[in-house]
Amino acid sequence: MVDETKLAEKQETVETLRKVDDDLRLPSVPERNFFPKEIDIAPARLQTPAIGQRATRPDGRLHGLGQTKYIDDMFFPGMLHAKIKRAGVAHAKIKSIDVSEAQKMPGVQATLIGSEIPVNSFGPSLQDQPLLADQVVRHAGDGIAAVAAVTEQQALDALEKIKVVYEELPPVFDPIEAMSEDAIKIHNNDSNIYASKTIIKGDIEQGFKDSDYIFERRFTTQMVEHVPMEPHASIAEWDANGRVTLHSSLGRITLGRADIARTLEMPINRIRIIATVVGGNFGGKNEITTEPIISLLSKKTGRPVKCVFTREDEFISSTTRHPFIMDYKTGVSKEGKILARKVRIVCDGGAYCSWTETTLGKASILSAGPYNVENLHVDAYAVYTTKTVTGAMRGFGAPQVCFAYESHMDDIAAELGIEPLEIRLMNAFNEGSSSPTGQVLESVVVSDSLIMATERFGWKEWQK
Amino acid sequence: MQPFDFIQPDTIDGTITALSNHTPNVRILNGGTDYLVELKHVHQSPGVIVDISRLTGIKGISLIDEGLRIGSGVTHTEIMSNPMVKEHVPAMIDAAHVVGAVQTRNLGTIGGNLVTCVPSMDSGPTLMALDAQVTILGPNGKRQSSLQDFFVGPRKTSLNIDELLLDIIIPKENLGKPAKFIKFGLRKGQALALVNAASALWLRDGKCTDVRIALGAVAPVVIRAKKAESVLEGNKLTDNLIDEAAKVAIREAKPIDDFRASKEYRNDLIEIAVRRTLKSAMLNSK
Amino acid sequence: MTDITLNVNGEVKTASVPPETTLLKMLREDLNFTGAKIGCDVGDCGACTVLVDGLAVNACLMLAAQANGKEVLTIEGLSTLDKYHPIQKAFEDVAALQCGFCGPGMIMATKALIDQEQELTRDQIKDALSGNLCRCTGYTKIIDGVIDAYEKITGRKVPARNPRAA
Repeated sequence: MVDETKLAEKQETVETLRKVDDDLRLPSVPERNFFPKEIDIAPARLQTPAIGQRATRPDGRLHGLGQTKYIDDMFFPGMLHAKIKRAGVAHAKIKSIDVSEAQKMPGVQATLIGSEIPVNSFGPSLQDQPLLADQVVRHAGDGIAAVAAVTEQQALDALEKIKVVYEELPPVFDPIEAMSEDAIKIHNNDSNIYASKTIIKGDIEQGFKDSDYIFERRFTTQMVEHVPMEPHASIAEWDANGRVTLHSSLGRITLGRADIARTLEMPINRIRIIATVVGGNFGGKNEITTEPIISLLSKKTGRPVKCVFTREDEFISSTTRHPFIMDYKTGVSKEGKILARKVRIVCDGGAYCSWTETTLGKASILSAGPYNVENLHVDAYAVYTTKTVTGAMRGFGAPQVCFAYESHMDDIAAELGIEPLEIRLMNAFNEGSSSPTGQVLESVVVSDSLIMATERFGWKEWQK
Repeated sequence: MQPFDFIQPDTIDGTITALSNHTPNVRILNGGTDYLVELKHVHQSPGVIVDISRLTGIKGISLIDEGLRIGSGVTHTEIMSNPMVKEHVPAMIDAAHVVGAVQTRNLGTIGGNLVTCVPSMDSGPTLMALDAQVTILGPNGKRQSSLQDFFVGPRKTSLNIDELLLDIIIPKENLGKPAKFIKFGLRKGQALALVNAASALWLRDGKCTDVRIALGAVAPVVIRAKKAESVLEGNKLTDNLIDEAAKVAIREAKPIDDFRASKEYRNDLIEIAVRRTLKSAMLNSK
Repeated sequence: MTDITLNVNGEVKTASVPPETTLLKMLREDLNFTGAKIGCDVGDCGACTVLVDGLAVNACLMLAAQANGKEVLTIEGLSTLDKYHPIQKAFEDVAALQCGFCGPGMIMATKALIDQEQELTRDQIKDALSGNLCRCTGYTKIIDGVIDAYEKITGRKVPARNPRAA
């Protein structure tokens, strides 16, 4: 229930203030932080790593009290809100971008387009991604222009007034199609294949010859978005010394700092990044997104600028997990021993490279699984398509190949009438096994852990 | 959100006046679980928003001469915990329980669910299977409508812009009628129905009469599977007959093929849903 | 502009906001209660869950004007100057919060659930939290936290999980 007297008092104050200025907003009193001032800290020994000890998360308490400040919980005096216009077309040449109408919209303080960015490209291995597309749009989530306005709504409204003229180009959505020689070249390179890996071990031909059975199957996985609960967010403030301070939810701040310095053509010591608590990363916040854009908007306006992705931005413009097309061919003896394996991975790399090279490498190395495969041939390709950027996500390509080789193992076990656990134990790495790239493995516990796990969750009973 | 004028009338008459005064640039807001989402994505102001979340006249569940009256402003949570609903139309509790999640059910209303008229609405099938009528009030007075007439198309009802959905009445003769509702979604909470269905029937002397099978998410609006109903009507319910009716129901539906599920998958679900709801309704009546 | 008076966490708060302001926006920007988060802004993720007159709602899907005169409880109103709220303590103890962004919403949804004072099962807990998304924990620890809090607050027990159930 509302306290009547307090309410009446407050109402009276409102009326008085109203008379002075109709538009006046009541200043809100900053909240007290309600929490016990006597801190209950676990004894130091419990916080130090000791096997078997229960450790509490040091940041758990602030999270639970709702007092952790994520980017969107920070407000600076005079702060503006930036929003990004998305292309909405998969593949097009940009003929013109007209922001003049947007600049006239109420509350709009500045706009920014790609050509105003000193070095409009970034990326961890290939610098092939523009911050704001200025010549060619390569996927529907490409940013075209940014607006900084007093409120988020004003910025969103202004985006609607930006006029972009496109000359649409044919999109390429299928990575296999994109690999063909006559496919449209998305980055004007000789080929859409921008990274490849090959691993050869033993004699694959001989391995297949020695095999009693050969199994072949194609496995595909889909694109996955990280969906961090907190969308990408950052705040930039350009100061009078020509330095920029960024509060950012970026996961790799040192790398990000170098990237930002490069795009802004500034010495790295003029970029200061304050890493805030990250509301979920999962690999999706491993590269810069809007940081240089809002830095420049802050430079233009002389005010702090905040940009928080909408959930739509998050889905269409941030990185995602690579969809894979994996062709497995495995030769086995009639007992179930793997004698040869040939793997071809086509990694749908999306519009830009991002962390694809790393992903591809890891996927290739792991594609044979934790199994002794003496004769192995892996070919892996990363291909540009006009789809959302694909990048780092938990496991860097490992989950995709794991899905394939384990499904393949089950197929083989079922065909040969071998128990699924048994075929794995028969082929699993053991002490001294060598990995596909020749690394000799030590402390190998694959079989032990498989046995222990199956005992614990009752694999044998489940099979009945 | 785009700016708009906000009116919060105290009475139903006041609401109708407000709606008439501002037609056509006026929209009704109640729970907001659907409409506010829509408002956040439009680039044009809706004009005037009339908030009816405080209208007492559209709240409440009561037994009246015509049957069970459920105010259009009753939330899904209120339906779930109402003893009269539990006694007379328990299938509605299942239907209310699968709407969104707790937060959605606490705000969202049954009237809002019907007026929004998305094909996958969860309130529709049960109410249709129980021959529910809706009462609509406009500047020219009250009118009653069956749900079949009320649902016109996806996100389109026969409600005029200056009219207010007052209540939903489940006819007296259908109170206590054995009925069952089932929903299939991609996950249990916060999911749109891939297929939902409700069946209701009376078992008299071993034969079923007044069979109603209503299907959601398989056509532009919630539909009755009338051919499947006629397979059963007046007959003794056997497993074979139920199977036949379930197969007939597939032919009456026109499910879409989309990223949530293929047409074939939805057809399988229709068969299963019809079979399960019929069997369950049959068991309930013994 | 509409004048809104709310009782937030036991104190009367007033602000004058445009009618299109959501309760979430008013709490965060006008009243400085940033505990409720903007995760999706369309009622899917539950990060903005607050209690309005005791019911858990998505503050992003309620206009401030609709909440006018009502009692709102946010995450900031749970603990007092003397002690932590048992739910917050339980979530901290079992490490139910990783990135923490879903935490305030989860805890408020849990509060609404435990306040109903009914016998709880794991399935009911899952159902009550189905409107709150978490991407870090896989929900196991969160459900453990709810159980821990429920058992401490009510003194009742949640039936042990059937080992063969999913």
